[in-house]
Parts: sequence; structure tokens; C-alpha cells
Amino acid sequence: MANVSLEMLGEARRLMDKYNRDYSEQESVVAVVLGHKVEHLALEAIARGADIVYLTDHPELEDLRLQPYTKIIAQMSLSKEARKTYDKPRYFLFPATNNGRDLSSTVLAELESGLASDCNKLYIQDANISHRAKTDGTPRVFSRILHMKRPDFSGYEWSTILCIDSPKIDYHPQACSVIPGSFKPLAQDPNRKGQVIRHPFNLPIEDLRLTITGREKLLNAIDLSSYNVIVAAGRGISKNPSKGISLCLELARALGGELGLSRGVCTAQYTLEPSLAQYITEARQIGETGQTVKPKFYIAVGISGAIQHKKGMDQADRIIAINTDTEVPIKDFCDVFIQGDLFEVIPKLLEQIKNGKKLEASVN
Amino acid sequence: MNYVVVTKGVPDFRHGKVVFKEDNTLNRAATPTVMNPNDFLALEAALEAKVKYGGTVHVISMGPPPYKKVLQEAMSRYADKLYLLSDPKFAAADTLATAEALSAAVRKIGNIDVIFSGFKTADGETGQTGPQTAWKMGYTLATHVMEFSIDPQLKKFNATRAITGEVEFTTGPLPVLVVTDPGFQSQYKNATQRLNLLDLQAQTKKRAQSFEEFLTIWNANDLGVDEWKVGIKGSPTIVDSVDPIPRAPSERKARMLIGTNLQHIQEAVQILLRSDQ
Repeated sequence: MANVSLEMLGEARRLMDKYNRDYSEQESVVAVVLGHKVEHLALEAIARGADIVYLTDHPELEDLRLQPYTKIIAQMSLSKEARKTYDKPRYFLFPATNNGRDLSSTVLAELESGLASDCNKLYIQDANISHRAKTDGTPRVFSRILHMKRPDFSGYEWSTILCIDSPKIDYHPQACSVIPGSFKPLAQDPNRKGQVIRHPFNLPIEDLRLTITGREKLLNAIDLSSYNVIVAAGRGISKNPSKGISLCLELARALGGELGLSRGVCTAQYTLEPSLAQYITEARQIGETGQTVKPKFYIAVGISGAIQHKKGMDQADRIIAINTDTEVPIKDFCDVFIQGDLFEVIPKLLEQIKNGKKLEASVN
Repeated sequence: MNYVVVTKGVPDFRHGKVVFKEDNTLNRAATPTVMNPNDFLALEAALEAKVKYGGTVHVISMGPPPYKKVLQEAMSRYADKLYLLSDPKFAAADTLATAEALSAAVRKIGNIDVIFSGFKTADGETGQTGPQTAWKMGYTLATHVMEFSIDPQLKKFNATRAITGEVEFTTGPLPVLVVTDPGFQSQYKNATQRLNLLDLQAQTKKRAQSFEEFLTIWNANDLGVDEWKVGIKGSPTIVDSVDPIPRAPSERKARMLIGTNLQHIQEAVQILLRSDQ
């Protein structure tokens, strides 16, 4: 089972344990398992926090295709059984992976309810809302609302998204996709009791109209996690992006490392010398929505240290920051802070590295 | 063949255009509006389809009246016809309510074989609107598309999709909504196609100069939408608050060095080279 699924189960368990205490209820954590030859995952879901598992195991579900998966998940959400005391789920979590985000979109379009994306903090409580459409402007309390927090692109602001009924329509489930790594899984407990409900595979042939004819592995993906040294370029390079990237590349190579990028550099759309443009790729982005790296050395060049970036690198052994501003957040989570202009500091570092290596070479 | 491209106006995040406040948050009012950069690829895919299979490219955007500039920008890449969905009733829409308005416009244009959409807007970044529009239209959905082709006779499409670490080859029936991956590449195989491409590009650039001749503006009445399904009324989700993310508590004690001090530089290099072993 994917790590993000274990994390979501753990968080769902914590949310519902608190919900049941706060509201004196006995509501459940329900896991949805689809695929082929995946029965063992249903049992694992229970051991990791689910009370109930809906399972559909069928050869047509071996690969994830949005149409059949969406239809079946919607059927599971709305199915009527004697044991069910509800019409629709209250809350719904999906992983914020490519497939998970696509699936969350189509499921919530099918269920006609609200969806927040890429959340990393969740809590359930009553909400006091004044909204011109939902409450005619007057304050009203909506009970048992899932508060879904997502960091914005800069990593400096959190939006809290709520899914709230309109005067005309009841919007449930309240749903979101969850950033991998945001929550902790529960330890596996084989003694946890739960129920597996087999949901029949019942779809018209029309829902299987997309065919997957083949797959191929990608060979030249960049894997930053395999390097001992990462030199990451941030928006501090803005005044001369080509020079900035080229200096960071040189420093990375001098130390046997590789180039990473902050999110700001990925979105800035700098005009670069053609030979350098290839280095601006999302594959090099480090942060919550990019790569997570734990190198021996992380050199953050012109990076302020927004939380969404920090999450991708704060486990590095040693963090060195180069920045003109000593008040930036990264000052509190680095080991060495070199105050200065990167365009002057990096050439000096490179020169000393060359001298140091010459010294080593002459000693050996 | 008929194609629709859906596009959105977003803050211009390019260096030199974007304006940040002191706390590093976006100053939206001071930042100009441009077409969402990922939408360039949706337009490129639509142009490729027109080059190879002929037809008409309709570009739609939902926004206030000044956002017609976004459609002009789209036309400078490629468009035959432009549609701005503009009405106070459409404002403050989340992805579900946006998909509702876009679907209504696609139905009003009629007979659309392929809808092209870019992946994720630069501001909202949900990536939800394309898939939700496909679902409301009942179209086959292909996301993260790197390469795309159509068989107009068989009314089928082929799409190469990017999944993490691998590519997937898929085929299915039209009509389809294609979400182009940021790595999407158009493929031109022969001189005829390339010459056709150049002609179409020249024509659209000329059209863009007087783009308003090709622009239709539709409001909520024109689309016949249920007012409780679009805009702020039709959005299940609301942004309740925006708060600064608290700075993480201090985790490491930094050795502070001055970049102009040679000894400090040497100290830093000593640390870096020592670890090399």
C-alpha cells in the first residue's frame, strides 16, 4: 500500500476519534480499495485504521482508469445497505498524486460536492460563517465542518477551505486531496477489528471505453535523492538568472553534487541562455510539491526558506544558506549562514575549493 | 472537426512583472494579468490538430470584461473564434462552478470533438477544472498528455500520458477532453504540415490585432445556466481565511559568516570539503 494511503488512514483515524468524542457519535473510517488481486490491501487498511473497507477486485480494474474507478467509488459512496445510517460520506480524502488528484476531481464532479486540493492540515469543528451567498450575509454556525488548509504557491500563506451547504443544496462529502508526507500513519495493528464489504463490479461497457495499450519506463529521470550535495537556486538569482544558474551548476559540480531549484525559480519564467534553459524543470524542484532530499550537504542559494521549501530539505545533514538578508526564515534552520551576494560569494567559494583541492593533491 | 480550448487569466508571475508584498505574499492588485502559461500547450495541441485534421478552434475564457485581453493573447498563439463568459453571477467560482459554466458554453457552441485544457493554473493550482468539465460533458478524459493524435474516420484518439516514472499509451473514442502535460510536444512529420502551420500562425497573429471582431461575450442568461450552479452561489467550497504560515521554530543554530571575509569563506569551504569523504 502506498505510503500516502497509510498516512491518510492514520489522519482519518485521528480525525474521527476526536469527532466521535466531540459529537458523541460512533461514525467510521471507511477505506476504498479498487484493483486486481488487492484483497490483502483491504486487510492492511483495517490494521492501519479503517473500520470498514469497500472492496472491488476485478481484472478490469488492474490499471487505474478514471471512468470505471470514478463510477465505482461513487457507487460505494451512495450505496444503500441496512447497516448504513447515512446517505453520503461526510468527508472524503484522496492522495495528491497525479492519479489521486484526477480521481478526486471526477469523483467530486460525480457526487456534485466540494473539493480542496493539496492540503496538509485538517481538523473538524463547527464554523461560524457570514457569506453573502450561503448565509445572506448574516452569521450562522455550520456544524462538524472539515477545515482543509493548503499552503499557497509561495509557501508563506495558508488558505483554509471549507465546503459549506448553500441554501439550495446540501454539499457532502467535504473532500480534499492530501499532500504525501503531511501526516503520520498508525502503526500496524493486526488485532484491529473491521469489516470488508465486497462491492460488486457493475458497470456498463461504455465506462470501459478507454484502453491502455502499453507502458514504458522513463529512462532519464533526474533523481536528486542520490546525491550527497545539492546546490539549490532560489529567487535570489533574479537579477541575472543565467549567471545565477551557471554559478550554482559550477558549485554543484565542484562538490560532486547536482542542481536543485526552488519553486519560485520554476515559476518565474526567466529568460535564460539556451544552453541553461534545460535546467529549469519541475523535476529539479525541491519542496512540498516537488522532490524531498536528505543530502549530506544542502546549499540554499538565494532561498528565503518558506515552509513549503523547508519540507523538501530540512532533513539534510548540514544546511548552508547564502543570502543577502539575515532575517529570512532559513536562518533558523541552517547550520551555516553566509551573508553576502551570491554572485560574489560563489566565485570566492569556487576559488577556495580549487585551492583546497590543489593542496590535497600536492599533499597526496 | 471542432475544438475548444479553455483558458484562464492569472497573475503574471514572471520576474519583473510579479509584485510581492513585504511578507513575501502576492500583491494581486499590483500584478498584471496574463493567460495561464500552461494554457500555451493546450493551444499548441489544438493548433496541431487543426494542421493535421482541419476544423475550427474555439477558445473560451471565464472572467470579468478586462479579461478579453487574455483571449487576445490566446489568439496570438492560435484561435479562430473567441468567447468570453462574463457575468457578475460567474464571479468567485470554485472549480465545480467554473466547470458548470464552461460546459454550458461548450454545449452552446455545439459539436465539439476535442476540448483542450492546460494543466493547473498558476494561481489556483488545483488541476481540477479540466477533469470536472470533462465529467460534466460526459467526455472521455485523458490527462497528462504528452503526445496526441486523432483518427477522424474512426472517431478515435490516441494519447501518450505521463505517469510518474513512466509513460502510458491509451486509445479511446471521441469526444474527449485532453489535459496537456507541461511536457507536451506537438509532432509535425512533413513539409505540408509545417507549411500549413506557418500559414495558420501568420493568419492568427493578424487576426489577433483586431481580435474583438472574432469575440463573442456571453452572460449567464445567454448560457441558460442555473444560477445556483455557477459563481459564488454554485461553489460548494469557500476560502474561509488566509493566514500567514507560522515560521517554523528555530531548529538549528547557524554559524553566521560574512561573504566578504576571506577567512569566513575559507571556513565554509573547509566544512564543505571535509564532508567529501
